[in-house]
Amino acid sequence: MNTNLLIGIVALTALAQEARSELKWEQTSVDLKPALGDKQAVAHFKYENVGNTPIHFESVHASCGCTTAQTQNEQVAPGQKGEITATFNIGGRTGTQVKTVTVRTDDPNPAHSTTVLTLKAVITPLLEIQPTLVYWQNGEEPKPKIITAKANKDAAIKKLDVVSSVPDFTAKVDAGSAPNEFKISVQPRDTTKAVYATLTIKPDSPANTGNTFAVAARVMPPAPTSGTAITPSTKATVSTVRHDLVTPAPTAASPRQ
Amino acid sequence: MKVSAIRQALLLIALAFVPAIGEAIYFRDKVSWQSPDRSSEMVNLDQAQSWGANAIWVDARPDNEFEQDHVPGAIPLNEDRWNELLPTLLAQWSLEKKIVVYCSSQSCNASREVARRLRDEAGLKEVFVLQGGWETWLKSKR
Amino acid sequence: MKSLSQQFFWRLMDLIVGGIFIYAGVIKAVAPLRFAIDIDNYKMLPWAIGVRLAFYLPWLELVCGIALILRFFYRGGLFILTALTFIFIAASIIAKVRGLDITCGCFGHTSKNWSFTAHLALDFAILITLIALWVSSRAQQREL
Repeated sequence: MNTNLLIGIVALTALAQEARSELKWEQTSVDLKPALGDKQAVAHFKYENVGNTPIHFESVHASCGCTTAQTQNEQVAPGQKGEITATFNIGGRTGTQVKTVTVRTDDPNPAHSTTVLTLKAVITPLLEIQPTLVYWQNGEEPKPKIITAKANKDAAIKKLDVVSSVPDFTAKVDAGSAPNEFKISVQPRDTTKAVYATLTIKPDSPANTGNTFAVAARVMPPAPTSGTAITPSTKATVSTVRHDLVTPAPTAASPRQ
Repeated sequence: MKVSAIRQALLLIALAFVPAIGEAIYFRDKVSWQSPDRSSEMVNLDQAQSWGANAIWVDARPDNEFEQDHVPGAIPLNEDRWNELLPTLLAQWSLEKKIVVYCSSQSCNASREVARRLRDEAGLKEVFVLQGGWETWLKSKR
Repeated sequence: MKSLSQQFFWRLMDLIVGGIFIYAGVIKAVAPLRFAIDIDNYKMLPWAIGVRLAFYLPWLELVCGIALILRFFYRGGLFILTALTFIFIAASIIAKVRGLDITCGCFGHTSKNWSFTAHLALDFAILITLIALWVSSRAQQREL
């Protein structure tokens, strides 16, 4: 009688331990290399329920608004496989981007109930431009300033077209010191009045789907005097600058897909 | 006993290591060894507000969040539409202005990324990240 | 055989150049983080390397400056200082061509307001003096 009870207890304990759920991930970290011009990078995180009770996804939450994550099904039966698709909207991002998706399940084991999935994407833009702003102080010598544009070597960019939104700035493009490098030399006509210009850079490349890049060129207004009184001339300058912003600059042509 | 110039140079190079390593040990906790220390970019709400009209507020949150509510006068600049939004900020900036970037909360990286890009790509110098982010601003309005 | 006044002249050059490097070394050794930021502004080296150089270089300058003054490991010191000055001039020119806004950092922030040309002129003068000292010391060695 006692032996039976003992066996019964052992059996029950064994069974209880058997009733486990576990989501097994093929990978929890995915490296992506989106192609030039891709607007999104998609990572698939495959899982399988290797336990013997169903698993329910409580939340699938991305670290930032630019990444959305979807599960195929809310509930995963034992033995069932599925995947979580994480879609990262690249936008204007460049360089190495790391985004995470936190997955919470109803797995009773706290070690397994939360999993962090990592998506790493290396984004090389069509053109890397430095700096994106060149400026001259009021009264500074109107010497040309250089903007370096490094083209993505897979894009086969032969030349750059640079157009200024206002005639007060001229831009000249020369080959840079390295292959795929361009030097854009920007010069103001004079530096006596404040001017704002958008320089639109259009690369000529078969891979280019009409993308343009913009840099800003400015002649700064005279430094405010300690009296901080806005003189009529400053007011006029401010309104001139605003007017440039209001009229659609060539950058409006850059497609927003 | 003639020691060649090269050997002397090597000995001097080795000699300089001694005080250098000593100093490095002394400073080991005060210096960021792997990447530039960005903690100096943080600014708290009071400080940022004390800059008054000299501060340009930059909202690094997604468009829909900006549209719902934002710091009055703030300029949106997020990485989703970086190239489109940047010119507006660059047109308003001038050397005496201080830029204060904020986003949803301390754990959100967007404001730091936007601040970094403004420094590295546009070459702007006085760029700061609001400690506590948008939530701190909201709390102060109550 | 060098005349006494010639010897005196070269010795004076040792003291001046050595002194300059000792001064430059000390100014940077007391503020390594500031120097690390200045090196980073050249955008030629990753931060991790630049920050370590920021700790090491000032001491190298100091030690070599002392070497010049005390005539201890003299030619080694000259060699290193010449190489450093040359590399530094090259880096400054490259940075200027790239349009970077750098504060030299070589004399700490006391020299912050000097123009680029003033800095370059001083560096070239130092370079020429170092080379002249080198040549002069070789001539002396041959005479012995």
